[in-house]
Amino acid sequence: MAPIDEKDPQPLTSLERISRRVFLTRAGAAGVATATAAVAAPLSAQAQAPTAAAPTEAAAVPGAVPVTLKVNGSTHRVMVDPRATVLDTLRETLSLTGTKKGCDHGQCGACTVHLNGRRVNSCLLFATMHQNDEITTIEGIGTPEKLHPMQAAFVQEDGYQCGYCTSGQIMSAVALLKEPVGADDASVREALSGNICRCGAYPNIVAAVQAVRHMA
Amino acid sequence: MQDQAQKAVTESRIIGVSTPRIDGPLKTTGTAMYTSDHNFPGLVYAWPVIATIASGTITSMDTARAAAMPGVLAVYTHENIGPLYRTPPTQGFSMIIDERRPPLEDNVVSYYGQYVGVAVASSVEQARAAAEAVKVTYDKRSHNVEEKLIGTPIAEPGIKKGTARGDVTSAFKNAAVKHDAVYSTPNETHNPIELHASVAVFKDGRYTLYETSQAVVNHRDVMAAMLGVPPENVQVITRFLGSGFGGKLWPWPHAMLAAATARNINRPVKLVVSRSMMFQSVGHRPAIDQQIQLGAEPSGKLVALGHHYVNHTAMEAEYDEGCGEATGFLYSCPNLAVTSGLVRRNVGVPTAMRGPGAVPGLYALESAMDELAVKLKMDPVQLRLLNEPDKDESNGLPFSSRHLKECLTVGAEKFGWAKRTPAVGSMKNEDGATLGWGVASCAWGAMRIDTEMSVELLQDGTARVTCATQDIGGGTYTAIAQMVAHETGLPVAKVNVILGDSALPPGPISGGSWTTASVTPAALDAAHHAVQTLLVSAATFPNSPFKGKKPAELEMVDGTVRAKGSATPQLTMAEVLKGANVKGITGTGKSQGTFGAKEEYSFHSYGAQFVEVTWQPEIARLRVSRVVTVIDGGRMLNPRAARNQIEGAVVMGVGMGMLEGVEYDRASGAPINASLADYIVAVNADCPHIDVTFLDYPDYKLNALGARGVGEIGLAGVAPAITNAVYHATGIRVRRLPVRIEDLMGAPMHLA
Amino acid sequence: MHTFELITPASVTEAVKAQAGSPTAQQGAPVRFIAGGTNLVDFMKLNVETPRQLVDINRLGLDRVEALPGGGVKIGALARNTDVAQHELIKARYPVLSEAILSGATVQLRNLATTGGNLLQKTRCVYYRDTAFACNKRNPGSGCPAIEGHNRMLAVLGTSEHCIATNPSDQNVALTALEATVHVTGAKGERAIPIAEFYVLPGATPERETVLAPGDLITHVTIPALPDGAKSVYLKLRDRASYEFALASAAIVTQVSGGRISFARVAMGGVGTVPWRSHEAEKALLGKAATRENFRAAAEAALHGAKPQTQNGFKVELAKRCVTHALTLATKQA
Repeated sequence: MAPIDEKDPQPLTSLERISRRVFLTRAGAAGVATATAAVAAPLSAQAQAPTAAAPTEAAAVPGAVPVTLKVNGSTHRVMVDPRATVLDTLRETLSLTGTKKGCDHGQCGACTVHLNGRRVNSCLLFATMHQNDEITTIEGIGTPEKLHPMQAAFVQEDGYQCGYCTSGQIMSAVALLKEPVGADDASVREALSGNICRCGAYPNIVAAVQAVRHMA
Repeated sequence: MQDQAQKAVTESRIIGVSTPRIDGPLKTTGTAMYTSDHNFPGLVYAWPVIATIASGTITSMDTARAAAMPGVLAVYTHENIGPLYRTPPTQGFSMIIDERRPPLEDNVVSYYGQYVGVAVASSVEQARAAAEAVKVTYDKRSHNVEEKLIGTPIAEPGIKKGTARGDVTSAFKNAAVKHDAVYSTPNETHNPIELHASVAVFKDGRYTLYETSQAVVNHRDVMAAMLGVPPENVQVITRFLGSGFGGKLWPWPHAMLAAATARNINRPVKLVVSRSMMFQSVGHRPAIDQQIQLGAEPSGKLVALGHHYVNHTAMEAEYDEGCGEATGFLYSCPNLAVTSGLVRRNVGVPTAMRGPGAVPGLYALESAMDELAVKLKMDPVQLRLLNEPDKDESNGLPFSSRHLKECLTVGAEKFGWAKRTPAVGSMKNEDGATLGWGVASCAWGAMRIDTEMSVELLQDGTARVTCATQDIGGGTYTAIAQMVAHETGLPVAKVNVILGDSALPPGPISGGSWTTASVTPAALDAAHHAVQTLLVSAATFPNSPFKGKKPAELEMVDGTVRAKGSATPQLTMAEVLKGANVKGITGTGKSQGTFGAKEEYSFHSYGAQFVEVTWQPEIARLRVSRVVTVIDGGRMLNPRAARNQIEGAVVMGVGMGMLEGVEYDRASGAPINASLADYIVAVNADCPHIDVTFLDYPDYKLNALGARGVGEIGLAGVAPAITNAVYHATGIRVRRLPVRIEDLMGAPMHLA
Repeated sequence: MHTFELITPASVTEAVKAQAGSPTAQQGAPVRFIAGGTNLVDFMKLNVETPRQLVDINRLGLDRVEALPGGGVKIGALARNTDVAQHELIKARYPVLSEAILSGATVQLRNLATTGGNLLQKTRCVYYRDTAFACNKRNPGSGCPAIEGHNRMLAVLGTSEHCIATNPSDQNVALTALEATVHVTGAKGERAIPIAEFYVLPGATPERETVLAPGDLITHVTIPALPDGAKSVYLKLRDRASYEFALASAAIVTQVSGGRISFARVAMGGVGTVPWRSHEAEKALLGKAATRENFRAAAEAALHGAKPQTQNGFKVELAKRCVTHALTLATKQA
């Protein structure tokens, strides 16, 4: 299958693309089946990953092992390299690319997901070791049409610039709401210091988090 | 048109109004597509093999073990990568690349981390393991990564003369008050959180390249030249860019490795540069030594300004940092000279980093001004006010719009500068910690680059805007939507903006803080043309209520067409298009660049940075606690996004001043602190309280909107304001960034 | 990274058995226990650790924090850093431990990292982390480029001509000041190892960091009760305000009776090749008045014999200020 941009007569914005989002897996078919959706299709339906490439399709990776991951409430059975991290599995096999790789060593926080409700660095988790855990990614928090209050607050407060660290920031911020963090800005700053924003949107990130906390 | 635009802009309900980014819902939900998010059926992974010496030649490469590993499809070296060409010389804004040598061109290694091979496999883990299994044997030569620059051999053609006037040598010699010192800044890295990446798709002789690029048009031209195919066979796409700060302006060797491997194996290839490689082969701000000589009258009037800098560059690159960028025009001084030189080191190729030239240059100049103020026993704000020029003395041109004095006075007022006591260590906060207050001026050039844009008004009531330029994170998507919304009367939500694709009308690079000034006039122009054509359609389609009117007698107000001066009848844009049975009406717009044009004005943004540091000598803890920034950057089209950029630049300035610096391992030549744990950048807890003010003087000489751009100005001046504050708190003058704990251990425990 | 086999034992006995056949439990062990993985996965990606088998111990329980008779506390080896730091028992009895843990890493890492894993946290020496370089700890006998190289972050106490790598942990500095005991189940049964005997100075064998033998699984840590009225504090000094390893840190436990110091424990981080207990400083404090001068004298004693490297001489004075100030804070609370 051709890349979408070659297939379409006109290039799409991400804004347009999201409304007809296709989830292409490397294995192909499984993802393509869900592709399509008309322009007006509800985004929530498409923000789900495909029900995963069936193990046979991904067997293109020699030596792959079967792994079952529970992500955003869905169970995915996939074949991955035995060394694959949760981060790479989300991005490369499940095409849940909202979770970002920034350093691959637990030094930036871009890959933050929730593991059984707690925020962790998904780059430091072997997929094979987390088959019984509930994983929540940014895709499981909200959608462009139905933003989580924290996502809406980030939009309102301009809590980003380039947006690359934003998924991790929001996953940390959502988790923070249930953590014992002091009421003041300094406490929020410390609690969010595991998420580096090289654009330096820290003041607005803190404002977004505080806005949601004050709402609660 | 000019007056009309100015008036419209000042009266707009959209332009100049804080507007949430139109791409916010995508960025906050993980649905914005960045380069490495692109997956394709059959996609495989590439991982580079890097040199572990800094100088020498490869004598052999044993790839047999790697090639035999599970999942490995190919291993390429200089012997089998296939054709990769050098680019022809740069022409204007095309064919720009800093590392001109294609990767794997031959067996020569001139810096640690240089790519010497690449492995391709069906999983990223397999590709990496294979790359690491390649055994490279070298004939190692001695390398040079020496930190000291001034006083070491200067590369050909030797010292270059920059801007000059008067006789600086004798003026300095005869000056009543003098200051002469060398200021050093280390190799600093951009290190955006988005890793550089390429996803290359090769099909039927055409390349579709998803790149992390701040300049997709140039990237296409360079890649076509290096791959040896016509430019129309290459399309470069950067939908969303995880920032770059200059590091993603020009192509880097990984892009050629990805494209060449995709070509060679005829499958889509993803190559994501690792964080450690981000310190090696994607550019950096070079290490620089700068000598500043200031001579003044006892009154504080400058009589001599010498600025002599040397920056390191790679063995095969002529990167000049341009530290004299702001020196020639910032202050009035009859005798002035800037000179520069390059020294060669076995380091990766340097490149522009946020505020190139001006940012390090102003660190040196504004530190020296502070030292001069101390010698003169003069307030540092006053010293700057006293030396305000009335024209650009480097070229005699009038300033298009300059309000540096107001930046300083407004900033002083907001900061509470009047309460400053000049004696070192004389100020305390309520907790007893010592406070240091410092100030610095800043400046950054303003320009426009040729831009073309297309606006299509559609039957469904939306507008579709296209331009090749990309949004680095500054808010280009939103700024363009604001323009089109303003001109058409459509709500911002009805404007779809398509950027980041070399196949679209050519747009500017995302760099130099030039994007906003370049794209917004083109967007207004394109929307204006689209509306004019819509009015023709409205006046002529069968059954139009405006039949018989001339298009010039119609106008578009708030998204509806009506006769001038008459509220009814009116038709929405969609009704006109449906009535005319036209799917869409396109208008194209242009904005001319200022490059190469005859200069009539000196275009610059200005600012003042006021910094408070808090110093606790008992634990040697220094923190930047408060920053007041006043920016004279023209009209702010989206003040919220503009403020965000300034705040972010201040945060980066805290890093530059206090934390960042690549260190080279002498023995191996490796950049040794090549990780985000060892090269530390500011985290949230390091962020001071930041107060940003925009003076908001539109620069109508630059464009009809009066807009400049604020991507870089906010970083200039932060580091010297910090070191000046550090001196005020501790009595220690740090002339080598970053300021570190060890620099301050010698400060007295108890002062004043 | 090499491929590896993942083993998931259901009991401590099975886990011990799984590793008992490994030729070593130290650097380069072919069989490794894995819990949070924050350290081990990082090093596996760098090929610094290349185990062929990983023994996933996450399902063994061992994650409780419990009060012991007599006022002590028992912390399971798999208790996550976050849970230990926020546990009411720890916050009430050993604030120094809670503060130390919270000063390290980030919430995300602390949510994964375990008490037992942190006890075995590896150095941050850049040469150790990169297999392109020689390193006596990673590759015994290959040399130590840090001694003439990038050593700003490295140790000034407990170094040898073979290794100057710092122990980077915060938790272990507090546990050292608290005289914790590390409980291990091994091939030959259970052992209780005082933390003072748990770590080994690098000497000529820097690859050996602890007394652990193949099959030794840390099951829990116990901390004895402190004297009534004892106060404790952790102070960490570093370049940036968070998310960074210590340049110098101090864990202090003190008790002041009648204006005199009647109980003192001083441990330091960021400066030693192992979590550094200073009996010299404690001796200098006991019976003395709680004054800044006496604290400074204790700090001088703590750094007596420190050996600065080419780039980190400032650490000696920094550590002195750290100890002095931490003592001031600890006694101010009293």
